[in-house]
Order: sequence, then C-alpha cells, then structure tokens
Amino acid sequence: MTLRELIPFTKKSVPVKRDRENPFELLRHDMDTLFDDFFRGFEMEPFWGRHEARFSPKVDITENDREILVTAELPGMNEKDIDITLNHDSLTIKGDKKEEKEDKGKDYYRMERSYGTFCRTIPIPVEIETDKVNALYRKGILTIKIPKSAKALEEKKKITVKVE
Amino acid sequence: MSVTMKEIEKKEAQLREGVERTRARRVYIPSVDIIEREEDIVLVADMPGVDDKSLDIVLEKDTLTIDGRVEEAIPEGHRLAVSQYGIGDYHRVFTLSDEIDKERINATVKHGVLRLTLPKTEAVKTRKIPVRAEA
Repeated sequence: MTLRELIPFTKKSVPVKRDRENPFELLRHDMDTLFDDFFRGFEMEPFWGRHEARFSPKVDITENDREILVTAELPGMNEKDIDITLNHDSLTIKGDKKEEKEDKGKDYYRMERSYGTFCRTIPIPVEIETDKVNALYRKGILTIKIPKSAKALEEKKKITVKVE
Repeated sequence: MSVTMKEIEKKEAQLREGVERTRARRVYIPSVDIIEREEDIVLVADMPGVDDKSLDIVLEKDTLTIDGRVEEAIPEGHRLAVSQYGIGDYHRVFTLSDEIDKERINATVKHGVLRLTLPKTEAVKTRKIPVRAEA
C-alpha cells in the first residue's frame, strides 16, 4: 500500500472496489494483515486461525448496467468442491483443491501449482437479485453471473445539464 | 508443513530478442508440477481457459513446446471493475531427456489442467532383480 491510497480523492471511482476507498478500512486491513505477516515469519498460524485458506484465487470483475460478472481462475477443481455463498452485500467463494490421489506421496521434481483450501469474499456494492445468480465452471474458470436488482437499476439516473 | 497464504501470480513469458508475436495477447508461463513415478513422468500444468481444441503440444527432437490459446475475453458491453488475473495465452518449453519414450507421450486436458504422461523407456525403468536361493 502506498500513501497515495490513503487519500480517498485520488481514487478512481470503481464501484466494486468500495471497501478500499475508506482510509480507516485500509488501516484496519493493514493492521489485520500485519499480525498475519508476523506469524507467517515463524511459519505458524495466528492462534485465532483467521486464515483457513492456503491460497487465494485471483478474480476479475466486470459489469454492465444489468449484471455483475465475477470470474475466477480455478484450474483443476471438482465442481462439487466449490462452495459459493451469497450475502446481501458480499459473495464468498470457498473451496478445496485436492491433490490428485495417484500423485500423492510421489517424487516431485517441481511443484508450482497450488493446493489446499481457499476462501475469497468479494463485496458487492449494489442491490442484487440473490435468487437469480448462476455459476458456471468451465475450462477451469468459474463464472458467476449476478443480476442487479430493479431497484439498483432505478437508482442510476442521468442528470441533464440545462443551459440558461 | 508450513501454512502460508499463497498468492497465485501468473508469470508473463519473456520474448526472445528479435521475435515478434502474431497475436495481440499477453502470454503467461503456466505453473507446472512434475512428478516421477515408476513407469513414467507426469507433467501437470495449470492452464485455466484452455481446452483440447485450443491446446498445441509439439515435440521437436528433444524440445516439448506447450502452447495454449485462451479465447475468453471481457463480454461485450461490460467494463472491467477489478482485474487481478490477466487474460492471455500460455507458452512453456521443456527439454526432454533420452529416458523418455517419445512415441508414447499422452496428453489429456480437464478443467483447465493439462496432464502429460511421459513414459520412461524400457532401458531406464527401475527393475527389481529376483534373487533365487540356491540349494
């Protein structure tokens, strides 16, 4: 984090990134991770076990007027091991990427891929149709389509500028 | 075993000097696991967004080249709000030793993971020699 991120005015107004705009949120986030980083140095988990996740998948979020599309790169998962929960204002993707049984305990020459559990929560700043969300897992990419609610659509109004 | 949070960072492939790409795409190096088993060596590569049609595996003498094209793109009319992974193709080159039986290499792809089975030649397979007891 740079000092510039503490200044809210310079932030681009990307709606989904709302949680990062509040400087206190940022500070809290930094304090949270400070202890995690500290404990990580000793190769032990913080005793409150905040991170049950071993790795964190990367996500892309795109949107248009009607929907939000969250895509995550999750190669080699079993779709049964992906757990998606939706709250009124956040989306949580949880899962467990298991090492293939036949590879277990064998001689590894190289191990670059990630295994284990992961958990990722994405804040959603607009009202959404929770019952119309659908998720698709294809070619190792998870795509979650979240339609915005009618109310959220109404809220966006264009204001015309009149000339006197 | 250490419990560390791992950020999956895709590495971008470096171009050799004087080489130009024909596709206006970013190219990433896929993460691989290489596992040795008794009969073969297994190479597992994470290539999300790639399926059997968009994958090219070429073996030229000792050089095994893996190329994966990702056709996925941002949907029409959508704007990107958060971008953490780059959309791009995959490219990685491996050099195989003589110990690999090049005729019997087998490749499968499932859920964006490529699995290459490289069987060992008969000459290098570990053999157990039975000991007979002489009377």
